[in-house]
Amino acid sequence: MSQPPAPNSSAAGKTTKVALFYLALILATLLWFTPVITLVLTALKDAGDFAVNGAFSLPKFIRWANFSEAWETGVKNYFWNSVIVTGFKVPIGIALESMAAFALTHMHFKWANRIFTYILIGLIVPVQMTLVPLTLLMNALNLIDTLTGLTILYIGFGVPFGVLVMRGFFRTLPTAIIEAARIDGCSWFRIFYRIALPLALPAVISLCILDGVATWNEFILAQIFLRSDELRTLPLGLVQFSTQFSTQYDQLAAAVLIAVVPVVIVFLFFQRYFVAGMGGAVK
Amino acid sequence: MASEKTASLAPRTAKDAKKSDDSLRLLPWLFLAPSLAIYSVVVVYPMIYSAWLSLFRWDGVAPIKIFVGLDNYGILLTQNDVFWIALRNNAIWLVAALLLPTSIGLGLAILLNSRFRGSHIFRSVFYFPSVLSLAVVGLIWTWIYHPDLGLLNQALTASGLQSLTRNWLSDPNIALYPVIIAATWNAVGLPMLLFLAGLQTIPEELHEAAKVEGAGPVRRFLYVTFPLLRETTLIVLAITAINALKAYDIIYAMTNGGPANSTQLLSTWMYFLTYNYNQVGLGTAIAVVLFLLTLIFAIPYIRFMTRKT
Repeated sequence: MSQPPAPNSSAAGKTTKVALFYLALILATLLWFTPVITLVLTALKDAGDFAVNGAFSLPKFIRWANFSEAWETGVKNYFWNSVIVTGFKVPIGIALESMAAFALTHMHFKWANRIFTYILIGLIVPVQMTLVPLTLLMNALNLIDTLTGLTILYIGFGVPFGVLVMRGFFRTLPTAIIEAARIDGCSWFRIFYRIALPLALPAVISLCILDGVATWNEFILAQIFLRSDELRTLPLGLVQFSTQFSTQYDQLAAAVLIAVVPVVIVFLFFQRYFVAGMGGAVK
Repeated sequence: MASEKTASLAPRTAKDAKKSDDSLRLLPWLFLAPSLAIYSVVVVYPMIYSAWLSLFRWDGVAPIKIFVGLDNYGILLTQNDVFWIALRNNAIWLVAALLLPTSIGLGLAILLNSRFRGSHIFRSVFYFPSVLSLAVVGLIWTWIYHPDLGLLNQALTASGLQSLTRNWLSDPNIALYPVIIAATWNAVGLPMLLFLAGLQTIPEELHEAAKVEGAGPVRRFLYVTFPLLRETTLIVLAITAINALKAYDIIYAMTNGGPANSTQLLSTWMYFLTYNYNQVGLGTAIAVVLFLLTLIFAIPYIRFMTRKT
């Protein structure tokens, strides 16, 4: 009966409706962001202020020293370790994964489906299922407590998701382009490197970002395979920091904020690639 | 044999392909080799070895492992109370994960799929917690649940609901639930994105047609949107379930399995048994149980992912 809306419904009524809609969304946003707001407020305030007024109040004055103190107390190390691991893992991983995905989609490879299934198993296996043998293996190779060892593990565990995303993209690449290059006598490696990969740039960027964030955030492998404090990556270092300085909420909050800022920046600038990447993963 | 197959796949290149046929057969393996090698060594081989180790009694250090068959599983099922607590917690976690993030994600996706000014900003807002690490999410929420300084108890007190204040993470009867809420906050983004992607494949004309036929928003959702989202929903449920069974960091950051092991999950209890109590056999047996539970959801998922080729 009421469909479509009566054309004469007053403009004022409609405006109110729109205003209420936005008001509801903004309230929901504030509620959703409460944890983040709490974090920022705590990071900016002095410990005494926090103890008296709690987390959710505007700081009496802004204490930037929280950040420099947290940085010097160890976050500096954690931060650079995370940068190193992520910086090596992501490009190497993507190089390997896109080559594999290319072979699975365009090289008339009759084992393609079986190999893809074999690789997909890695997406579902709980990491706990690998920890003990990996500990033995890393011990034997003298890679326990090294960033190199951790990076190698990250590359291995990244293969399934990377192949999935890149394969999703390469499948949309017209075969005609590849065939044409073949007829022109182009080698497979050149086709991959000069034609397929440049065309896959959006997928590569998506994967860079999703993979970069995932590596930056990884916890359990770092927890098991890094032992000394100066090698810890950020998530691990922060949890350690929180148990060691459990009462210094101001510094801990500042430390968490330092860890989160790079992710937020990447997120703000490359949002659409998150969507594109996840889309590629279920295609 | 192989050359005929290749030829039938790409008749135009048959002549050229013939001379490079041998290299063509090997070349894909060359492209795959680096990925397959590192993946097999780091993920697949350890998986199989873990399953084998679960048949032994071993402390992880001693040179001798004692073969005990399925005894480790028997011990877990009959003598290890925490295993049952963990299993129950995993079940609760799984049910919550299948209900909360998915339905909230679907609701948000439907709300934000319509194009209005700023809709993409709100998408980012609700996706945002998903880019934070679970360790960070755990730490932030730990402060919210802090008995004296935490926002939750302060808000309850301020609104006259003092009787509802709790020592949220220290009460063994309830501690799991606050952690699940924190995890939900982080988990909503992915289903929302996937549902949004699914909604965008539904042609606008279908809705228009249903509208013309006189279907209200609820009926349009039930008879147009939802049936067409079936595939997306299955993927979302599978991924959410698989992720739920992987939960670990957030427990470690918030409760470390306590108080009194009341928030142990299979994943955390595996860590405790293996690395704190040196019960490698029991630990790997738990990992195997966790893997088998995952398979329930993963097999349909993998079938779906490989089906369309």
